[in-house]
Amino acid sequence: MTFEPTIVSFLCNWCSYTGADLAGTSRIPYSPNLRTIRIMCSGRIEPTFVMKAFREGADGVLMCGCHPGDCHYHEGNYKCLRRYHLLQKYIVQMGIEKERMRLEWISASEGKQFAALADEFTETIKKLGPSKIKKVMETLT
Amino acid sequence: MEEIRIGVYICWCGSNIAQLIDVKFIAGEIKKLENVIISRDYKYMCSDPGQETLIADIKQNKLNRIVVAACSPRIHEPTFRKALEKAGLNPYMFQMANIREQDSWVHIDKEYATLKAVALVKAAVSRVKHHEPLNKKSVEVNSATMVIGGGITGLTSALEIAQAGKQVYLIEKSDSLGGITAKIDLTYPDLKSAGQMIRPKISQVQNHNLIEVFLNTILEDISGYVGNFSTKVRRNGTSEEITFGNIIVATGLKPFSPVTIPEYKYKVLPDVITSIELEKMLQDGTVKTSDGSKPDNIAIIHCVGSRNEQYHPYCSRTCCSTALKYANQLRSLLPDAHLFDIYADMRAYGKGCEEFYTNTSNKNIMFLMYDQKNGLPEIRKANSSDNAGMIITFSEKLSGENIEVPVDLVILMTAVEAHEDAKEVARLTGISLCGNDFYIEKHPKLDPVATTTDGVYIAGTCQGPKGIDESIVQAKAAAAKVLSMIAMGSIEIEVAVSHVNEEVCCGCQTCIMVCPYKAISFDEEKNVSVVNEALCKGCGTCGSTCPTGAIKSLHFTDIQILSQIEGLLKTESETI
Repeated sequence: MTFEPTIVSFLCNWCSYTGADLAGTSRIPYSPNLRTIRIMCSGRIEPTFVMKAFREGADGVLMCGCHPGDCHYHEGNYKCLRRYHLLQKYIVQMGIEKERMRLEWISASEGKQFAALADEFTETIKKLGPSKIKKVMETLT
Repeated sequence: MEEIRIGVYICWCGSNIAQLIDVKFIAGEIKKLENVIISRDYKYMCSDPGQETLIADIKQNKLNRIVVAACSPRIHEPTFRKALEKAGLNPYMFQMANIREQDSWVHIDKEYATLKAVALVKAAVSRVKHHEPLNKKSVEVNSATMVIGGGITGLTSALEIAQAGKQVYLIEKSDSLGGITAKIDLTYPDLKSAGQMIRPKISQVQNHNLIEVFLNTILEDISGYVGNFSTKVRRNGTSEEITFGNIIVATGLKPFSPVTIPEYKYKVLPDVITSIELEKMLQDGTVKTSDGSKPDNIAIIHCVGSRNEQYHPYCSRTCCSTALKYANQLRSLLPDAHLFDIYADMRAYGKGCEEFYTNTSNKNIMFLMYDQKNGLPEIRKANSSDNAGMIITFSEKLSGENIEVPVDLVILMTAVEAHEDAKEVARLTGISLCGNDFYIEKHPKLDPVATTTDGVYIAGTCQGPKGIDESIVQAKAAAAKVLSMIAMGSIEIEVAVSHVNEEVCCGCQTCIMVCPYKAISFDEEKNVSVVNEALCKGCGTCGSTCPTGAIKSLHFTDIQILSQIEGLLKTESETI
């Protein structure tokens, strides 16, 4: 059986979630591995949420916000970007490949781009194989 | 603590969800979960009987949490929240799982789509357990309105509102009112004077004691929220502040410049002109070539910059009927001239326009078709022996022949496009842009003049190319929306804001630094941060920055999101 990864995606309500909805209304098919959590702004994505997702068995975490300059809350996406760079260093220390976490900008009109991103990220994670972190956590606790 | 009793409803959405996702299987799986008292599937949850079932279940089974798995929460979350209220439950004790836009409409494999839906519903169930009742807040609506844009749309909206006795601030960046309508001669398909329509509107607006017109004015910044906005406007070097409750954005669009299309040699050959340049000639009553002579041969070329991936992919909607209008006007002005209408597709849509096309085609006008896929018609300067100023060469689609048309004047039916400052206005007002920089409405059919920002409406061509008639429909619709809000007097606003737990706050003030709305201040006496709920918009950035976890983003709390993640991932080992 081929490996079907589970990917948790955090999408901001105003741009990315609406972009993902647009992929739906435009009926653009993409791989079913993404499971979305809606937040109001990418600035709300706490490092804890990402770590929790990995800990609970996510093979990849995708975060999407509005394009720079287009954030509904002015600059939440920049806050997210700053945390992302730090978090990337952190997950590597934890033994998680940095490619398992991605931050991308998707606007409300980019349904097509969202679908392409979902497919491309799923492929990346498929190549990396299952995340080992959940097993590690189970042995530790 | 009160026992958690959850009702879960899986919507079929007719066949939209049910044809790919096994709704009965999901309902069965969810029924097994702790605290789930009821788990049903139903054909249309948003319908009246669907909502009545939900309300009856809440009452009969003392449900205190509801999950609906259906379309996007961006569509029906408000519908179901209202149903909860009707049943006496706090509307925030509700969570939606999006199994249509983000599942059944985008996946092909039934099994995977169903498993994904199970995960999404489990996540919602897990989250809703941690929901807390929130009380809506009522704020008064300022009865003044700001209308941005002084074209036919903005003028119409402003008049509608002022005539109902309410104050309007009309903001226009140029030095005159009237917009593009003031620049055109006749309207289609009735061939009536645009000037006779727009001029009285302008003077009514200028003379209305409830409309304050700001010319040569730019917006510096907009703050506040529905019912209570304020802005700084700058004109003649001075800045002033105005306050209002609603905003109508009617910023229009502008003609595309065909200089970038090499085939048409616009600005190279002096007798290649654009539609708006012809309008000027028609307003003046004479159509001449650049050397002042009467043109014997005139061509009108359609789709200049429209429906072409290289320029604009969309149809500009009004150019075909406008071209027919020109054919009529030119025929009257120059009864002996040869008129050529070179079109890609004749899209004379709308009431009376197909008839207008039929009538025009009986006026001795040569209609020729080209196909953009086979290249654009090419205009070149004629030789002295050609008996015309220019030659247009193209492959005529219906005859299949390459033909040459001698012409003295060419009219390019240019596309229309968004203004360069459309992005800036969108940023200031919180509107989203589509890929072509036109504004996106809240819902194309159910809420076509509202936007995702409450209290901000769009009307006219800033939303997309359209004719004067359609722009006026939107102008009046937006005015009606604003007037109904003013009539209500007060409005309930989102209460999902941030809250500081003073016991846990260490007074580091990091939240104050990251807040984009200056909504957090510092209480020196207590040494804690304080959120001003009226200014907070609930983005949650402070919550994710707070080092001690003192800030709670209501309705998006840590525990709610962490439980949602847990619910989302717990399913894997159990179902696959």
